[in-house]
Amino acid sequence: MNKLVSSFTAAPLPQGAVARVSLAAPVARLVLRARGDLAALNAALGVTLPSVVGHRAGAGEIEVLCLGPDEWMLHLPPGQVGAVSASCAALMGSHPHSLVDVSGREVTLEIDGPRAAELLTLGCARDVEAIPVGQGRRTAFDNVTVILWRDGPAAFRLDVWNSFAPHVAGLLETGCRELAAEAA
Amino acid sequence: MKSCRVPGRGRVDASRPVTFTFDGRRYGGVAGDTVASALLANGVHLMGRSFKYHRPRGPVSAGSEEPNALVGTRRGPGRFEPNTRATVQEIWDGLEVTSQNRFPSLSFDLGAVNDAGYMLFSAGFYYKTFMWPRGFWDKVYEPFIRRAAGLGASPTEEDPDSYASRNLHCDVLIVGAGPAGLAAARAAAVEGLRVVLVDENAEAGGTLLSEPHLQIDGRPVWDWLASELSVLKALGVRIMTRTTAIGYYHQNMVGLVEKLTDHLPALPADTPRERLWRVRAGWVVLAQGAIEKPLVFNGNDRPGVMLAGAAQTYLNRYGVRVGDRPVVLTSHDSAWFAAFDLQGAGARVQAIVDTRPSVREDLLHEARALGIPVKLGHTATASSGRLRVKSLRVNPVQGGRVGAPVTIACDAVLMSGGWTPSLHLFSHTQGKLAWDEEQTTFLPAETREDCVIAGAGRGLWGVQAALEDGAARGRGVAAALGKDSTARAPRVQGDRTGTGITQIELPTDLNAGRAKAFVDYQNDVTAKDLRLAVREGMHSIEHVKRYTTNGMATDQGKLSNINGLNIAADALGRPQPQVGLTTFRPPYTPTTFGALANYHRGDHFELTRKTPIDAWAEAQGAAFEPVGQWRRAWYFPRPGEDMEAAVRRECAAVRGSVGIFDASTLGKIEVVGPDAVTFMERMYTNPWAKLGVGRCRYGLLLGDDGFIRDDGVIGRLAPDRFHVTTTTGGAARVLNMMEDYLQTEWPDLNVWLTSTTEQWSTVALNGPNAAKLLAPLVEGVDLTEEAFPHMSCAECTVAGLPARLFRVSFTGEIGFEVNVPSPMAMQLWERLWQEGQRYGITAYGTETMHVLRAEKGYIIVGQDTDGTVTPYDAGMGWAVGKSKPDFVGKRGLARPDLVAKNRRHLVGLLTQDGSRLEEGAQIVFDPDQPIPMTMVGHVTSSYHSEAVGQPIALALVEGGQDRMGQTVHIPMPDRTIAATITGTVFVDPENTRLKI
Amino acid sequence: MLLIHCPYCDETLPEVEFTYAGQAHVVRAADPASQSDEEWENFLYIRSNPKGPHYERWRHLHGCGRFFNAVRDTISDRFLTTYKAGAPRPELSSLLGDRT
Repeated sequence: MNKLVSSFTAAPLPQGAVARVSLAAPVARLVLRARGDLAALNAALGVTLPSVVGHRAGAGEIEVLCLGPDEWMLHLPPGQVGAVSASCAALMGSHPHSLVDVSGREVTLEIDGPRAAELLTLGCARDVEAIPVGQGRRTAFDNVTVILWRDGPAAFRLDVWNSFAPHVAGLLETGCRELAAEAA
Repeated sequence: MKSCRVPGRGRVDASRPVTFTFDGRRYGGVAGDTVASALLANGVHLMGRSFKYHRPRGPVSAGSEEPNALVGTRRGPGRFEPNTRATVQEIWDGLEVTSQNRFPSLSFDLGAVNDAGYMLFSAGFYYKTFMWPRGFWDKVYEPFIRRAAGLGASPTEEDPDSYASRNLHCDVLIVGAGPAGLAAARAAAVEGLRVVLVDENAEAGGTLLSEPHLQIDGRPVWDWLASELSVLKALGVRIMTRTTAIGYYHQNMVGLVEKLTDHLPALPADTPRERLWRVRAGWVVLAQGAIEKPLVFNGNDRPGVMLAGAAQTYLNRYGVRVGDRPVVLTSHDSAWFAAFDLQGAGARVQAIVDTRPSVREDLLHEARALGIPVKLGHTATASSGRLRVKSLRVNPVQGGRVGAPVTIACDAVLMSGGWTPSLHLFSHTQGKLAWDEEQTTFLPAETREDCVIAGAGRGLWGVQAALEDGAARGRGVAAALGKDSTARAPRVQGDRTGTGITQIELPTDLNAGRAKAFVDYQNDVTAKDLRLAVREGMHSIEHVKRYTTNGMATDQGKLSNINGLNIAADALGRPQPQVGLTTFRPPYTPTTFGALANYHRGDHFELTRKTPIDAWAEAQGAAFEPVGQWRRAWYFPRPGEDMEAAVRRECAAVRGSVGIFDASTLGKIEVVGPDAVTFMERMYTNPWAKLGVGRCRYGLLLGDDGFIRDDGVIGRLAPDRFHVTTTTGGAARVLNMMEDYLQTEWPDLNVWLTSTTEQWSTVALNGPNAAKLLAPLVEGVDLTEEAFPHMSCAECTVAGLPARLFRVSFTGEIGFEVNVPSPMAMQLWERLWQEGQRYGITAYGTETMHVLRAEKGYIIVGQDTDGTVTPYDAGMGWAVGKSKPDFVGKRGLARPDLVAKNRRHLVGLLTQDGSRLEEGAQIVFDPDQPIPMTMVGHVTSSYHSEAVGQPIALALVEGGQDRMGQTVHIPMPDRTIAATITGTVFVDPENTRLKI
Repeated sequence: MLLIHCPYCDETLPEVEFTYAGQAHVVRAADPASQSDEEWENFLYIRSNPKGPHYERWRHLHGCGRFFNAVRDTISDRFLTTYKAGAPRPELSSLLGDRT
């Protein structure tokens, strides 16, 4: 009954021919902070935490992005949160860390289409094209902190806190229309 | 209507006529025309009036440097823009163009009376004329200046257009698509380099568009240009036309403004009018070319007097002959070619008047062959003609003596004082300039940016030289980026190069003091003004500039700066490099506010954060107030209620039964790790070590200076896990401050911070029935005084939702804060709303929250504190863990000024006449003292209190805690209010109402 | 707009991802109680304002979140170097040597 539903409900998101934006299905999100030898945490999570900022790893249905030298974002099915939390909690004494559930904090927008990368240039000052496929970055989109996952040459995900989502989606929508008009 | 179109000339499309209006009159042009070229084709030179003297003016140039031909352009309602350069605006069917600075009409203008008063309006006239009598300023001078000031008329309607912006990253940005830029692009366009070539014109080509006689690699230049552009596109070069580089910022960030629709007859859907590009380039090649200098002589501003190069462009690019009987006046070879081109297009050039005593033989030969009279060693001393030049008065100059005048009848004067490199963008980089004595001009020298200059922009003249320099610079840039380029410049035939001399104002036999020899056309600055400024003591070029306004108009001194410098240097008797050039600043050409604001207008003007409950509140008709980036429900008026009535009702409901409040905006930080308690001990004033799991405590956060920064309730969920709340506005700041201490002062601590502000939405229930309402919905905790006393917290289930439940009160009533994951907040809210109906549950907003907390003396950080208030000042010494060895602010609290007597203390105030004080009002002890009075504090919070039965206030008052019961005075504009100092708790000081 | 190299991300990125965080190497004493009023005042308020190289702190706020140190030339607005918090303060001579 307590299904995670998004608190962000935008008007229908734009479906342009050259760039599309859609709201991703809810996912559980955990912020992990730790340092030092991560072997025990890797074992508990069943995935090797990448050590380079921006790099990703995945195992089964868990996906991890390294956000900072001691910070990771984990995406996983909501049903697995309990087990992952419990196995990490068991390590607290021997391997100090912080695991915080932020599943309700943010939503994910999926952005794809041939000009998806260009759409992101409306708000991203950093070179979006320079982010390798299969990596991700925390960055700013129109001054809003976001996490940008690059899944393919023209496929991105953008994690954004609930209250910033309408602002970000609004600009993306404008951009989709602009790009569609340009392509026409 | 007279047609000055030359069949077969130009790049315009004669088969596509275009009709537009100028001052209501219809004119015909053709596709490819600008407003200026189309009007000139109709024989119209008069396009505007000057700013100060309202002198009739026509276009002097054919490009973005135009100072004179400024017009208003309109496209239906709301779409009006003043100060558009007619030389740049392309025409389309239905375009409405109006002239500016004239009343009642362009050809008859009352403001031209200023022209007769020329001797009054000399340099610095603003500073001199409006000095006295003093009383005249408000009533006479300022209204006069305000009416007269400003170019054109501001649009009055909201702009219906949209504007856009993007970021662009490239390896090489080339500014200017003339021969140098094209060659640089070709050389840099090697595999793997992202090359962007921009040009402000409607089409790429630069000077090549005005020199159709050229052959490049054996092909007619325009054929070569077309194929070169397609080659560049095929090589992946991004070519952007109608795109102006407006500014060059740090580390190769260049701002571009692309005009997308101003040239289109119909506006396409979803297309912005302009787009601001923020380009970050590895290397920048500036290939902006050079700008022709006007000659400075008496009457050099009449319509029909224009730059020779502009006349050449009008002929060769637009197919327009700007005069049938032109005179060419020059000090440079280049204008001779303009004379030859016009003669070849059916004009009868009346004379080539050159200030130089001798010129190249081949030029003389060609002039003779074409039958053009030549006058060498001559000056021009006057022109005539009211709305169009009719004659030019020229005199021979021999041995410095000006001889007898001859008047040459003409319908145009084509002048050239030589060329000056376009240094604007280079100047933006703080680049150093070097004086070139031979060319009498500044050339770009050094810049710290990764930037090179190519072609005429660094003093190289001629198309061949520009192509070769462009290619070399392009190769160099490619090499700097680790790429090998072998591109070579093509060969040019028919290249016209030349030299010239630099003139200050031309010598005259007339009274130089009465000469109207303009240096800055747009600001009506004459050579006389510059000399006067120097005589009056302006010895720095920056002072001369400001005193005369030379170079300060919207054209940024493109035509006037170098002439102004040469004249000022002459007046000062110092060489130019010692006088120096004034600084060019962005933007290169006038830029719309729309482009700069781009997406940030209307709904997208500013980010507005909303909670999950916001939509419910809106549906209930709530009024909102902004708090930080959030919008929060302020109060919930019922029909017929004003704010005061609504707040009174909401307050009574909370004190009488139960109120529900959206506290989701509170900042939340999860502090986790074995050293969590150590970290909390160090950050907050309070002690935390002994706080049990399941308990919470009010925490006070100071800066290391000892002043209050933030506060909030903090719950201990586990030995190593705290749920910290912050103020709404302080959330990001507090997290930043905590991270700062953790990362840089205590990196050894094993504790981490995670923002959970938006993970948890917070619903507060307050009132005597709060526990009764909530208890049946809670699983896992008994809401009894024994099991869950005040200041308890627990992880439990509320209404079937996973929750963090806090028993806290910001109202003095029994209070709970229920935190649930944000996506579930509305579910919780609606359930509580539904279950609460039996208790008459009332939604309340931030105003009621403020009143209720003030009645209890609870502070709002930032309202009752202002960054200079200590915990002791605020009466919260109890929150300071005095036995702790250290916490942020502990040492600060011991500073001499912080322990001094008579600091301002937070106290309560009750007015003696029952009136309500104004927040921010100043307080004095003695109302009878002389003004200026000694102010001893101010009112920080003031509300009507239903519970107290009169208004209450909180105030910071000097030594207030030792003045209980004393009277202070609050002087207001109409009266002085007396108030009694009280404690800060107005309601239930024993806290009996907190008990379940 | 500046370009800043984040020593933690090892990327050179636009300024909008960063926030300025004041002068670097201003150390909070391990035992503040031992500090004289003057020493504490220096710690709180007294800052250098050089024309030229300036040791300062930045935070990669919209990125890895780390505070780091930098040497920026206040004349040219160029970063001479950036380095991790806790790393030793680089000698100016070595930085300026690189520029010529």
